[in-house]
Amino acid sequence: MLGFYLKRLAAGLMMLIALSILVFVLLRLAPGDPVDAYLNPLAPLSQTEMDALRQRLGLDRSWPVQYLAWLSAALAGDLGYSIDRAGVRVLPLLVERTGPTLLLMLTGLAMAILLGIASGVIGAVKRNSAIDIGLGLVAFVTISTPAFLNALLGLYVFAVVLRWAPSGGMLTPGAPFSLSDLLAHLILPASLLAVVYSALFMRYMRSSMIEVLNQDYLRTARAKGVGEFAVIVRHALRNAILPVITLIGSTIGIAIGGAIFIESVFDWPGMGLLMVKAVETRDYPVIMGATLLIGAGVILVNLLTDLAYAVVDPRIQVR
Amino acid sequence: MIMRTYRRALIGAALLAGTMMTPAIAQMKTITGGFDVGPGGLQGNFNPMTAPAGYTWLSTYFEPLVTYDAGLTKLVPALATSWEISDDKLSYTFKLAQETWHDGQAFTADDVKFTIALNKNPKTASLLSARLAAIDSVEVKDPRTVVVRLSRPDNALIVSLTKMMILPAHVLSAIAPEDMAKNALWSTKPIGTGPFKFVRYETDRFVELAAHESYRGGKPKVDRLINRYFANAAAAISALRAGEIQFTYIESDDVPTFKGSKDFTVIEGASYVANYIGFNNQVPLWNDIRVRQAVMHAIDRNAIIDSLYKGAAKKADCGYVEGSLIPKGLDAYAYDPAKATQLLKEAGWDKINGTKPITWLTYYNNPLTANVMAAVQSMLAQVGINVVPRALDPAGYNAIAMSRTSNPADFPLVYAGLQNGPDPGTLNLGLNESQIPPVGQNFLQIKIPELNAALNAAVAETDQAKATTKYQDVCAVMNKTLPWGTMWVANRYGVASVKLKDFVWTPAPGGGPFAATPEKWSIAP
Repeated sequence: MLGFYLKRLAAGLMMLIALSILVFVLLRLAPGDPVDAYLNPLAPLSQTEMDALRQRLGLDRSWPVQYLAWLSAALAGDLGYSIDRAGVRVLPLLVERTGPTLLLMLTGLAMAILLGIASGVIGAVKRNSAIDIGLGLVAFVTISTPAFLNALLGLYVFAVVLRWAPSGGMLTPGAPFSLSDLLAHLILPASLLAVVYSALFMRYMRSSMIEVLNQDYLRTARAKGVGEFAVIVRHALRNAILPVITLIGSTIGIAIGGAIFIESVFDWPGMGLLMVKAVETRDYPVIMGATLLIGAGVILVNLLTDLAYAVVDPRIQVR
Repeated sequence: MIMRTYRRALIGAALLAGTMMTPAIAQMKTITGGFDVGPGGLQGNFNPMTAPAGYTWLSTYFEPLVTYDAGLTKLVPALATSWEISDDKLSYTFKLAQETWHDGQAFTADDVKFTIALNKNPKTASLLSARLAAIDSVEVKDPRTVVVRLSRPDNALIVSLTKMMILPAHVLSAIAPEDMAKNALWSTKPIGTGPFKFVRYETDRFVELAAHESYRGGKPKVDRLINRYFANAAAAISALRAGEIQFTYIESDDVPTFKGSKDFTVIEGASYVANYIGFNNQVPLWNDIRVRQAVMHAIDRNAIIDSLYKGAAKKADCGYVEGSLIPKGLDAYAYDPAKATQLLKEAGWDKINGTKPITWLTYYNNPLTANVMAAVQSMLAQVGINVVPRALDPAGYNAIAMSRTSNPADFPLVYAGLQNGPDPGTLNLGLNESQIPPVGQNFLQIKIPELNAALNAAVAETDQAKATTKYQDVCAVMNKTLPWGTMWVANRYGVASVKLKDFVWTPAPGGGPFAATPEKWSIAP
């Protein structure tokens, strides 16, 4: 078992290096020079001064040399300095932005998991009832609606028209920190992030649960006098949830993308907003560092999903 | 159980703390706005020397010697209480205001001398460097008097000085010029003399200022100014409608949704930016003037102004639209596709390019411009010019069109804008052959001797009445030689909450600066 996880870990590291090479090359192929973002192209610097600046930013070296220098420093835990934000190290910048992204993503996912599993179980238990059809319809609509439309509609209705929540940001600008302020800003983007994934989880949960509810062992449990609630929660749910766990694991990677999009709409100061700004200014070190961190996160989550799968179902063994 | 109780208590306490803090915040009078939204803003830029825009916000805590009035019609005092220009136009004497820097040090003539030297030094990457080239020396007569001496008359100098924010010598003199452009100090503890002083910058979120209580114009009426950052104008509008901010720039197609509202005031003004189709003179496509004339005749500018700008733009037949600068007898380049087709035929367009696609770049990333460019694309296609619009983010556009390593073939045609006022001399930067980068902004490499001569004569003229006539000559030459396909000058808009009192804003190019008197702004509860 341990050997399997070590192999997966090694494969994950190789994937990370491949990802970093891909992003490195794509960035250099994209139009846009970080020097032009660093200084207005019309700044009156002589060619010699521009060359000196390029050298100072490490942009005068060949691509392979630049990449290897970045990789060796990254392996030592140094992701370099942001080009756009002179003097700011990339790693602390990423760490600072990871918190808000994790908060948004995990809150959204937790809400999605709770809502999705609960409504999936209800739908399966009350199969073909009005409530099941109603939930199915809601799930169908939310899955079919593009994420950007959900986010913009949600923003317009709940922030602009109803004014139930702030239209953006993580805290009220200029106000001292308070938990209530944070929660007020969090609730709308997290709910909109949760909407799509909860519909997805609900559909998987419902079909998996329906399959399990027909199993003989549940009939046996009922015959032994186990209460209906316990039958569903203790016996049926535990088996039916396995495919949903896999789905949750693979959804986390997608949820990072979703969080990046939601962050842009709601000006949520996380990794997504940081990356969008870094792309706009061709801030190579920040883009590389953020990609590496997000890639590592996705690979780690996939590993943990495998682990969780084995914990929930002890029958699963890896040879 | 104990842990659970502890956690509940902690959350409860935090919520309570949040609630208890609210009245304290409410007691502080705060104006929050999207002051850096739109083309006049520049989020994330804190160095006034390298700022092509963002002056609306920068001038709340920095000040120039002189500035424009809010109507952008005349120059008014700022840190200089008065100024005199010698008869030979070679000496400018400024009398300075009594003011203290935000850190309590006295502002003196030495700071002015230091700031001019800093901006003249190209190593600081100051965008004003070339525009201050006529300054020969700066003499400090006494702490309140400074004399600027020129090596040659330059009637654009005083206008250039409106963009030069005076900086503290005692703070910045320790920084090497080459480390100045991106120094962390600009976004952490900049020191100015304006009515508000810098408190903090929350990265990518907002900038907070506090009242400079001893400001010479009187203690500001609000305690704090907050400049909130937005990914785009639409996000700022959402925040404005939600009551979270009290001011933002808006796109012209959003104006109808605010007009007539009892909660908001729409502020309208000329952009002073001439929009043009820029012919890259380094590619042979546009050498024949008949081709450029054909482009002009092929485009129904009146229809575009009526239907897409809803009338909020003025057709431009040269770089200017201001009445006093327009001579009689200009060619209006009326919409005439048949004439355009004939001109192309005479020029041999089939051999020059035919229907091969021509990339048409722009840095304007908004729905209105996309619609305008699509309309022009279809009009040009009717006469046989196949342009393909391509909107890029500023970094992409700069790399292709503005960078020193640009390949001319990558940007045969652009849709862009250049400031044409309040000082008409600013057009010189983009049109005169002497302003080809890195000296100026003539990135299309326009080389028309007749236009150079007209611009040189206008810029050097120190008599106001004669200068107006000479700018009319510039307009006439532009109209005749078509260095650009000049299209129009559009209006720009801002929206302010009716809660704001004595709030002054105008859609000045680059955000100003202008006499916005932020110390007088107040907000109703």
